[in-house]
Amino acid sequence: MKEYDGRVRLVFKDRPLPIHTLARGAHEAARCAAAAGKYWPYHDLLFEAQPAFRRDDLLRYATELGLDAADFTRCLDERRYAAQVEADVVQAQALGINGTPTFLINGRKVVGGLPLEELRALVEDALKARR
Amino acid sequence: MSLHGRRPPRVYYRFLLVILALLGVSVTRPSVAGAQIELTVYAAMVKGPPDAPVTIIEFSDYQ
Repeated sequence: MKEYDGRVRLVFKDRPLPIHTLARGAHEAARCAAAAGKYWPYHDLLFEAQPAFRRDDLLRYATELGLDAADFTRCLDERRYAAQVEADVVQAQALGINGTPTFLINGRKVVGGLPLEELRALVEDALKARR
Repeated sequence: MSLHGRRPPRVYYRFLLVILALLGVSVTRPSVAGAQIELTVYAAMVKGPPDAPVTIIEFSDYQ
């Protein structure tokens, strides 16, 4: 993102897959972290920690980031953001997105994890197309 | 206002967008294979400026 500062906008959407039984809770926890202003640090921590996403793990990560433990626990246990995560899943399904990661680069659908060079080439193509 | 004194649905839609914007939520409509789907975008889950020439929407799974 730093390399394309000001020229690229990244939007993260939740697409927990049903086969990953702990994923949905992790996505909901990330939204609780977002509400506390720590979305990206929590997001990065989840990717580093996968697949350790049991409730205690999710609460521990929040504490490590200095989030209020009581607030975060309430948010997670109430499943406060379950509907928002589900909305992302429904939107993904409407776009035929059933695998992760899937990228839409100015609407161009790219499925699967890409080597950095390939991703960079796709971004450059999209930038050229906009010139 | 319509003849029956009811606002057309577009007015309600715009009102809803204003409310969502105040909550840090916006809507984007990527065109994928000719189909346009409305996607909600949460400000907290976005990096980069809204007027960037390239938007990457990443659907991902933490696990």
